Parts: sequence; structure tokens; C-alpha cells
Amino acid sequence: MNHLDDDAELYALGLTDRERDAEIEAHLAECDACRARVVTAEAAAASLAAALPPAPAATSRRAWWPAVAAAAAVVFAATTAFEANSARAANAQLARNDGALVAIASSHFGHTTLTADSGVVAKAIYARDGAWCYVVATGAPRGAHVVLHQGTAARDMGALDGEPGTLFVRGAGRADEVDVVAGGRTVAHGTPAY
Amino acid sequence: MVLDGPAFDRAYRDHAPRLRAVAFAVLRDRDAAEDAVHGALMRVWSAGAYRPERGPLLPFLIACVRREALDAVRSAKRRHLREVRASADQPAATDPTAAVDPVEARRVRRALEQLPEAQREVIVRAYYGHRTLAEVAHDAQLPLGTVKSRLAAGLRHLHSALSEGPR
Repeated sequence: MNHLDDDAELYALGLTDRERDAEIEAHLAECDACRARVVTAEAAAASLAAALPPAPAATSRRAWWPAVAAAAAVVFAATTAFEANSARAANAQLARNDGALVAIASSHFGHTTLTADSGVVAKAIYARDGAWCYVVATGAPRGAHVVLHQGTAARDMGALDGEPGTLFVRGAGRADEVDVVAGGRTVAHGTPAY
Repeated sequence: MVLDGPAFDRAYRDHAPRLRAVAFAVLRDRDAAEDAVHGALMRVWSAGAYRPERGPLLPFLIACVRREALDAVRSAKRRHLREVRASADQPAATDPTAAVDPVEARRVRRALEQLPEAQREVIVRAYYGHRTLAEVAHDAQLPLGTVKSRLAAGLRHLHSALSEGPR
């Protein structure tokens, strides 16, 4: 593939179309010169962002995010210690605060938003190899359980804990479906895509 | 460093205001903006799309969040599903005193003022007006190729101005 030329700057500004983005990212993986050009352009674009007014905080129904993010960091550290170590070593030049983000950014997991009853927001993140699954829900009834379905088998993995309710399942396997069940009713439901 | 929950929380808190501002400028809806930030971060992490040797993290994340927000506003427009008001008709206010980092904002505005008018115009239309390339070309009555080359040159010029200018 040819070098990116002006598309390096247009990509950094978010102005290339998404099909072209895939080609650009493939090229960046193997071309140091274009990667350096994109990194420079992204720095300039980030400066443009610095002049934007601040955003109001999101409403509380988005409050599950920090729990997911924190849990993802813990899960990642526990399950891929080797990769985390190499990421940390390579990351020495970055700001100290970026370390956890960098480690997670190097991991491989999927996530899905569960279809949920009104008032419930639930999310599942899961290792692509089925090593673990983490479910977090806001607004779920107290004592709601996580049920994983695999083929015809359904396994109750236990109750969500806290608010937002969270449950980390080790050795989850590649469940076909993830349910949050309360009082015999499914209040949230989703399908992981490994 | 230890990769525990508190360390991650700190990192998220440090970056979230900047990322949220980027998404909100495009989407003008606080929940939609928060979703765009989460979506972009999740996408980056689950794809393992970032490696530290690539360069600094924050500018990369800002670019990802902006793409996510532009995608969200455009798919919302296409589907007419929800009223997400793109601020395209009234370029987002860039009041330096209201920015996340007012000192940096003033520096950026001074650097923008140093650009040739032709370059500054397309950057302001595209970045602060959240226009696509085709929309900028239409509004500014310029050929698409001219818009592309002016944007690219303008961004390079801006980078030089910011690197050389007083901090």
C-alpha cells in the first residue's frame, strides 16, 4: 500500500471514512514513517480539542462505567500478567497514570450491552477465550443472579454484589447467553460474540 | 505500577473530562457523549488497538472518541431515530476561559490565528463545525481535493506553530 500522504492528517481529524480507516490502520501497523506522521497530526488535533468547552457530567444511569473500567483493570492484571509486564516495560516513557490504560489496551476481551428492563443498565465483558466473564448492572433488583447458558445447560453463577451490582466469574467458558435473573424473571439478557 | 482498581480510576478521571468534551462538542447530549467515550475506550481495549510504542495515549484516545462521536451523530441523522443536534449550523463556542484547560486553549487560538486564512477556515469548519469533507467543500464552495489538501497543510502548520510558539 502507498503511504498515507494527506490522509494521515485527515485520519487524525476523524474525516476519513470508516472503510478507508481500516486500510489506514493496517498500513500504520507496518509503516514507521506514516505512523510518526499520524502521531504528530493527532497531537495537533488534540490541541484543537483543548479549546472545546467542557461537557456537563453524564446522568447517573451511566454510572456503571467506572466499575467496568476498574474491574477490567483488575481482571486483566490477574489473567494476563505476562503481557501486562511487557506492556509496562514498554510504557516507561509514558505518564505514570497511563499504565493501567495501556495494559488494558493491550488485552483481548469483548463486551456487550445487555438488553434490559427499563431502569436497568447491564453490561458483560468477557475474555475471548472464555477464561472469565464480568457482569455489571445498575438498577437491577437486589439479589439478582447471573445465569450463563451454554448449549442446553444453564448455570447459576451467583448473585450480583453492591450497587452497581457486579459479579466476576472465573472459568466462565464461552457462554452462548448471559442473563441477569431476579425473582424468576430475566431482567437483562445478552449474547457475547467471541 | 500496580494495576489495581484505584490506579485505573485515577487514569480514567484524568482523561475523562477531555474525552467527554470532545464527544459533547459533536453530540450536544451528555449521555450520548458519555456513551461515545465508553464505546471508544471499549473498542480500543477489546481490539488491543493501542501499543505504547505508537506514541502518547491521550491524543490517540481523543482521535478515537471523535471518530466514535461523529459516527454516532451521523448514524443518528441517517436513521432519524433520535434528536441529536449536531452543532454544525452554529460552530461550537470556543471560549478559551470555558475550556478544560484555559491556558492551553488560548495558546491554540493564538496558533490558529497564525494560519493562512484559507487553512484556518477549513479547519474551523471541519473541526469546530463538525462537518464532513463533502459538507466543508459545499459550504466553502471549494473542490474536495482543495479542502483535503488545505486541511492537511493547516494541521501540519498548526503543529509547527504550537511547537515553536511561546508556551
